[in-house]
Amino acid sequence: MSARAAAVAVEDLSMEFISRGQRLVALQNIDLDIAPGEFFVIVGPSGCGKTTLLRVLQGLTRATRGRILIGGKVVTGPGTDRGFVFQQDALYPWRSVLRNVGFGLELQGVAKTQARARARAMIDLVGLGGFENHYPHELSGGMRQRVNLARALAIEPAILLMDEPFAALDALTRETMQHELLRIAAAAGTTVIFITHQIDESVFLGDRVAVFATRPGRLQEIIPIDLPRPRPAGVKQSPEFQSHVARIVRLIGSYESH
Amino acid sequence: MAVVSSPASADPADPAGPPARPRWLTRERWAAIRRPLTTLVVVLAAWEILARNANRLFFAPPSEVVLAAMRLWETGELQHHIWVSFSELIYGVLLAIVIGTAIGVVVGISQRVQAYTEIYITALYATPLVAVTPLLILWLGIGIGSKIAVVFLTAVFPVLINTISGVRATEALLIEVAQSFCASRQQIIMKVTLPSALPYILTGIRLGIGRGIVGVVVGELFGSQAGLGFLIYTSGQTFDVPSLFVGIVTLAVAGVGLTFAAELVERHALRWRRTIRVD
Repeated sequence: MSARAAAVAVEDLSMEFISRGQRLVALQNIDLDIAPGEFFVIVGPSGCGKTTLLRVLQGLTRATRGRILIGGKVVTGPGTDRGFVFQQDALYPWRSVLRNVGFGLELQGVAKTQARARARAMIDLVGLGGFENHYPHELSGGMRQRVNLARALAIEPAILLMDEPFAALDALTRETMQHELLRIAAAAGTTVIFITHQIDESVFLGDRVAVFATRPGRLQEIIPIDLPRPRPAGVKQSPEFQSHVARIVRLIGSYESH
Repeated sequence: MAVVSSPASADPADPAGPPARPRWLTRERWAAIRRPLTTLVVVLAAWEILARNANRLFFAPPSEVVLAAMRLWETGELQHHIWVSFSELIYGVLLAIVIGTAIGVVVGISQRVQAYTEIYITALYATPLVAVTPLLILWLGIGIGSKIAVVFLTAVFPVLINTISGVRATEALLIEVAQSFCASRQQIIMKVTLPSALPYILTGIRLGIGRGIVGVVVGELFGSQAGLGFLIYTSGQTFDVPSLFVGIVTLAVAGVGLTFAAELVERHALRWRRTIRVD
């Protein structure tokens, strides 16, 4: 598997919309430096522009000002160096698990046998071996998000962009998926940029957590998470974990009251 | 074919059931066959009794229709008529599928093309286009060409309209996923838009086949040398009522058969949509 994780630099990025005659600042002067292989989490209340930022990173949306560099190259549109895991159920319902996971490779014109072999490897990696021929409607929400993840990883991206991928899952499945994601991301060796509005999730997953504030959407503070990796069992109950959570709660809360 | 879960599907293992019934013939299936069959037998019997007491010049009992069918079959006439009508239908419908789907995708995707054309497509869909049959016969003659044209004209609009709806119903998120994987415009159409619109397109094709059958018959009635419509027309002209009914019954059977075949294709193509099976 590739371990060609890339660095990401966001330089003075701003994004404005005109909505009903009003100027809306979705992102204001964002500067970020993300190291190769880092697990970078962005947390913030809804409307803080975190999803917009991820879409700009993916090249699905263009920023009003500023630029993004990935591995030193300026982003102008979508690229196969990035894999995107969508928030909702974004699988193709008419494709089996195997063909969903192989979708990106198929678009790139990878030979069928090779594409299948790689898709199977990814399905095994996310723990769905044996479900290759199932259709999405036959899978649970957690399994579908595993397929989503496998599909993004199959093109061997240098960066994995994840937009609240576990938001729709129940608490137990979410917990399992968090552990699984850390295992899978470590095995895949990619840089991960992960968006969430769940504070404990951000602390559990991230090497660093960027706290965003709303109206205008902006970066408030970046908090390094100095918890050991792999995260030990029961880490969520540790005082260090709790103090990180408390700090982020305060940061977000202080702006919610405005 | 698997039986979708239902309370009585455990029936074939029932030892008390009649032993003569083969295993695949579950109680539900047997009922599904037996009930419409009963209706048929009753109607045929009534028809037979009534027709025997009616003027034979204008009406024929089923027994005579069967005899006429056997006669027409032995001379090879019936097969020829069926083959001609069937060819006209298939060519016309295939043409309608290819052109209807292609134009439907273009109109469905492009707001601009849609603005120029949509109102006319809707108007033509609502127009009984079999009315232009005499014109098509003038242009293309009484051979197979004019019938293919009639079938095409009547079948293309259901396909077209449904394709447009299907293309427009494609979820934006699914297109965005493809974009994020760097799909080209053509790849998005082939791998996202078309499969997503497939349920709609198949419905359009099924409707198109139904209209196409009408097109074939009307086309042949107006002017032809062979086909089931020709058989019906010439039989009427010569007061050969049993042969006339052979044409009508053959069309009815063909209509049921083609609709059933289209449903099977639909079910196979859309198997990903089916609810979880309980076997």
